[in-house]
Amino acid sequence: MINGDDGFAQRLREMGFGEAALVTKISGRTTSLCQVNGTRIALNHNAAMAILVEALPAGVR
Amino acid sequence: MVGNPNCGKTTLFNALTGLRQKVGNYPGVTVEKKIGECYSQHGRPMKIIDLPGAYSLAARSPDEAVLRDVLFGRREDTPQPDRVICVLDATNLERNLYLVHQILDLGRPVILVLNMMDLAVKAGLRIDTHQLAAALGVVVIACAAVKGEGLVELKLAMSRSDLPLARHRWDVPAPIAPAVAELQASLSDADAQSPLIARAEALLLLTDFESVRIAGSKPLSARTAAVLAAWQQRCAREESNWSGTLIRSRYDAINTLCREVLRRPRPPELSGSDRLDAVLVHSIWGWLFFGFVMAALFFSIFSLAEYPMNWIDAHIAALSRGVKNILPPGDLRDLLTDGVIGGVGGIVVFLPQILILFFFVGLLESTGYMARAAFLMDRPMSKVGLHGKSFIPLLGSYACAIPGIMATRTIENAKDRLVTILIAPLMSCSARLPVYLLMIATLLPAAALPATWKAGLMLLMYLLGTLGAFGFAWLFKRTLFKSARPLMIMELPAYQPPRLKEILRQMVERSWLFLKNAGTIILGISIVLWFLTTYPKHPDPKASAEAQIAVSFAGQAGHLLEPVIKPLGFDWRIGIGLVTSFAAREVFVSSMSVIFGVQDNGEDTLPVRDALRAARWPNGASLFTPLVCITLMVYYVFAMQCMSTIAVVKRETNSWRWPLFQIAYMTGTAWLVCFAIYQIGRALDY
Repeated sequence: MINGDDGFAQRLREMGFGEAALVTKISGRTTSLCQVNGTRIALNHNAAMAILVEALPAGVR
Repeated sequence: MVGNPNCGKTTLFNALTGLRQKVGNYPGVTVEKKIGECYSQHGRPMKIIDLPGAYSLAARSPDEAVLRDVLFGRREDTPQPDRVICVLDATNLERNLYLVHQILDLGRPVILVLNMMDLAVKAGLRIDTHQLAAALGVVVIACAAVKGEGLVELKLAMSRSDLPLARHRWDVPAPIAPAVAELQASLSDADAQSPLIARAEALLLLTDFESVRIAGSKPLSARTAAVLAAWQQRCAREESNWSGTLIRSRYDAINTLCREVLRRPRPPELSGSDRLDAVLVHSIWGWLFFGFVMAALFFSIFSLAEYPMNWIDAHIAALSRGVKNILPPGDLRDLLTDGVIGGVGGIVVFLPQILILFFFVGLLESTGYMARAAFLMDRPMSKVGLHGKSFIPLLGSYACAIPGIMATRTIENAKDRLVTILIAPLMSCSARLPVYLLMIATLLPAAALPATWKAGLMLLMYLLGTLGAFGFAWLFKRTLFKSARPLMIMELPAYQPPRLKEILRQMVERSWLFLKNAGTIILGISIVLWFLTTYPKHPDPKASAEAQIAVSFAGQAGHLLEPVIKPLGFDWRIGIGLVTSFAAREVFVSSMSVIFGVQDNGEDTLPVRDALRAARWPNGASLFTPLVCITLMVYYVFAMQCMSTIAVVKRETNSWRWPLFQIAYMTGTAWLVCFAIYQIGRALDY
């Protein structure tokens, strides 16, 4: 789920980081680096806090 | 020519037109439209417009707005293109097709170019280009622009006069359809737009969140504005998410298409770039590597450049001696040796160090590390109210503030962009390099100290500029430009081996620019300065060189300035250098060469660093003490001393207000900091 600023949410969805996207976190604590659909996307802390991700059960991809 | 950022548009544009626009492996290299020409297969000239990269037509930054406004025919200075070449990164088809999906709405003939096809094949992706072409009804060309593959096919397609119109079978989602229909009708009637452009524009306007409008774009008619406002109010009242609905609908269509044309043998896994990123953007290892890169840069500038610099220095001295041997003593000989050779030669000697700096910048840009540096810097940047994206323009400003300021166009938030523009010239650019090097050479005698000391002092100046930039960003974001905490979303490109040919080309271009400046601006200023230091002549023909320069025009002007700069430890001769280097910072070095070369009067001209070491105040005290050398370097860290930067800031902010503010705050800070350093240093007996 994406919250917060409408323009930011729109851009995130346009980049394929939408509600149905499968996200893999690669690195980072305050600034996160994620892989979405084969693309590496960096999100700063404020941006990451606007996104709610759901963990997949172990072994499911 | 359109596409997502960093999909290889400019590489393709250069290959088609033979031009040499800058390319790099990070998003946002192209921020303004570039126009080139090539010839069709039948010899007909074709004009190609390379537009900045964008993820969507819903522009969030000024560079994306350029693409949208050209495609919609909103720009009065650019006719609407008659065909669109959509360049896609074949390794990421779904995401790249989003922009294509929006462009197909426009109803223009489209050519799809699947670039980086070689990398897609390597990653195990199989794209059925024939099926893609059949599904969309457009020409699809597989291409690897870097290797020149697919260019002939693209030229053939561009030469076709009968390009098909896309079969774009996609219905506007039902909740938005009535609003789109009414707005489309109004745009057609009241704003004289064609039906398809009006439909695409309606879709954008209804899902618009304060997207960027740029100067020169046509405003909406009153009727259309009223229709739009009414539908927006209704959407807000019903708490509908039209934007989300529209994006989902487009991605549903794209996913259906990709299921038909794209074969992925296995689900996406972590690539080599991902594994490298786990180390290079790590909170500890990433910083260590960043520190190593910076240390290597500064050490190379001092250790590797020394040999070619000595070689150039020796040849300039030999040239000067040769001219002195050929010509009889007199004003003409002095003009050539002290004005022309002394002034220009004093600058040209720094060419090897400039080349090393640009080699490192090119390496960072072409490998994809530039974007990682921005990622690492996001945390410190967030402390001052900006985000990592602002660091790419700042990092670029280490080479030159002008492209750095242009690169701020990728920043979405207008206030963040303005703050980044205001602080970018604080990053030490390559023009400051000769000034720092001269002062370090004067301060630390050669051979006596290892290169690491000099590199350390230089690094300190770069750090000071960076800290100053951060400090002012913090101040501006808390006073003049208060805004919500910025949200950053940035794509990191895959790592690529450095494209040495491209790096060398950029190095040659930059050094040519540097030499051109030396041969024009610096030569001109050196000649004028020689004249100003030579005339009017002292009444006594046997007067000392110091007495002569004191009565000259430059000396009179310098003496007027001296009361302002004396509290900083600078005399009137340094003052002349400060004034002339307002044109460009490196002019300070040539000015010092001319001013102190004129005083030499001997048969052999002293190297400028030795002439500076020998310079004295009227009371016999040394002028360039270590304290003065450091103060002078700090002055150049902070002072706004570049006319070209001022002109670019004026253009980018569309006002004289901000460049004037920049001159005031930067030069004011330089004076205050130098005053504090010099006076405290003096109080401590340095």
